[in-house]
Amino acid sequence: MPELVLSHVTRRFSGHTAVDDLSLTVRDGEFVCLLGPSGCGKTTTLRIIAGFERADAGSLTLDGADITALPPEKREIGVVFQSYALFPHKTVAENIGFGLKMRGRSRAEIATAVEQALALVRLDGLGGRYPRALSGGQQQRVALARALAIRPRLLLMDEPLSNLDAQLREEMRVEIRRIQHSLGITAVLVTHDQGEALAMADRVAVMSQGRLQQMAAPAEIYEAPATAFVGHFIGQVNVLEGRLEQVDGRTGLLALPGGLKLAGAGQGLAAGQAARAMVKQERIALTRAEPTGLPNRFPCRVVERTYLGGGIAYRCAAAGASLTALLPNHPLFERFAPGDAAWLGWTAADCTIFPG
Amino acid sequence: MRGSIRALGRLAGGLYLLLLYLFVMGPLLFVIATSFNPATSFPSRFEGFTLSWYAAILERPEFLAATGTSALVAALAAALAVLVAFLAAYALSRQGGAGGRGAMATLLASPLLVPQVVVSLAILQLASSFGIGTGFWGLVAAHAVYVMPFALRLILTGFARFDFAVEEASRSLGGGPLATWREVTLPLLRPSLVAGFTFCFILSFVNLPLSLFLTGPETATLPIVMFAYIESRIDPMIAAVASLIVLAAATATLLLDRFLRVRLVD
Repeated sequence: MPELVLSHVTRRFSGHTAVDDLSLTVRDGEFVCLLGPSGCGKTTTLRIIAGFERADAGSLTLDGADITALPPEKREIGVVFQSYALFPHKTVAENIGFGLKMRGRSRAEIATAVEQALALVRLDGLGGRYPRALSGGQQQRVALARALAIRPRLLLMDEPLSNLDAQLREEMRVEIRRIQHSLGITAVLVTHDQGEALAMADRVAVMSQGRLQQMAAPAEIYEAPATAFVGHFIGQVNVLEGRLEQVDGRTGLLALPGGLKLAGAGQGLAAGQAARAMVKQERIALTRAEPTGLPNRFPCRVVERTYLGGGIAYRCAAAGASLTALLPNHPLFERFAPGDAAWLGWTAADCTIFPG
Repeated sequence: MRGSIRALGRLAGGLYLLLLYLFVMGPLLFVIATSFNPATSFPSRFEGFTLSWYAAILERPEFLAATGTSALVAALAAALAVLVAFLAAYALSRQGGAGGRGAMATLLASPLLVPQVVVSLAILQLASSFGIGTGFWGLVAAHAVYVMPFALRLILTGFARFDFAVEEASRSLGGGPLATWREVTLPLLRPSLVAGFTFCFILSFVNLPLSLFLTGPETATLPIVMFAYIESRIDPMIAAVASLIVLAAATATLLLDRFLRVRLVD
């Protein structure tokens, strides 16, 4: 099974650079999610891999062979589109069999492959229907089956779950992962939904402004963001701006304008430098008693309480800084009301500092 | 009380519609009725029922020849117009909303804005200034230019419901550019292409002003022959010819509506 390598891929549209010197490798059998806000270049990257868009500079290899100049029909890459792009004038079976028909396979061979593909996506018996007679979730499965029926070297998915309702989306996350795993196929999925990326990917590639910010396993992306963008973009994050007072190797003390001093960790830190600390909301403890075990602990006042079902978010004010703590909605955790006095606390490891 | 007001409203609406239809269709009904009238002058009182005027057409070879010419001109002009309009609509739609799309569509519709007699005369003058005849193909070209905007309108409407991602899907599945057009693009646009062709055919078939200066004895179209015929005399035979044209056009329109669910008139 093949490996996909992008080296220094660049794509410019009139006036702006959609993909900027992007280099990344998708390993054999790996599931990679391209994650980023809209306009970050992730969809353009996918379209370049598929061959729908050309790269202005850089090259792509698949399975060791250069595919940069190859038209899409010669790439053997399956694509699942955001709109599904099923052929409305063809039946489900004809849709799934289309790729094999283009390859001149025999009718019997196509029929067998279509049956297998339908079984794989659990749509047995629906081959005679037209796409419009299917639900959104079923159309999604047909799109997946159609892309897989050609036994592609690589499977690309462009926001495949964005048109499904929340419950079905969760279900299809698991389903797509199951199918990808059972076939051992190399896959790239584009999404703006970090929950989706963290839940599905072996590795997540976070993009911003056409550039690759970080590519790593979901836990690493979440726990150890490599850039300020990733730190800010992933999770529910408190961002606190200040000046570094003291730096000792990878740890530093950040002084906020209001007087708070935060102990945190980061790379490339220098004393006197302006910097930002990022603390994930759920990593902040909110207690009535002083959390003496935590290096970062500050008295605060609860300003606002937002009930989220699974959790409760408290926005708190501490010496001119505003911080939100997310507590599980569980009887073991204390409850607060706006106006209550309390303590905020977190570890130095949960406080990532980025220069600038 | 409220129910009876509603019924009254419905009645008034129905009456309005009936009058409207009568206004549009009335003259046609009169012409069709006349074609069965044995009286030799036109218009005249109704004196009975006869099919002799239809039989009389068969004795006028120039009408049969002109029908053939008209059909051939209309078929070629419609085919040409649909081809041009399809390519233009494809480019305009693919481009999305960006970059002068509206201006381009207006430009392509501009032949509608020039009086046809003027176009006809202009083509004749241009051709004679180069010392060439316009001939059969000149006539076809003029008709194609005139009917193209109508085809463009219809085909653009077809493209409005076309998701270009299906072309990419086809390419990624191994369909080359030609196979993709054959298997995906053309089948999905077939209804609007057929409708465009039919509409253009009818428009060209019944067109008089464009043909006025561009037809010779060899290329006389049916409207030209009819025009020449009624210059010398008026009898119900011309009503019979007109009735046949109406019948053919109505049949084509109804077939489109029935089988392709395409409405030429909304």
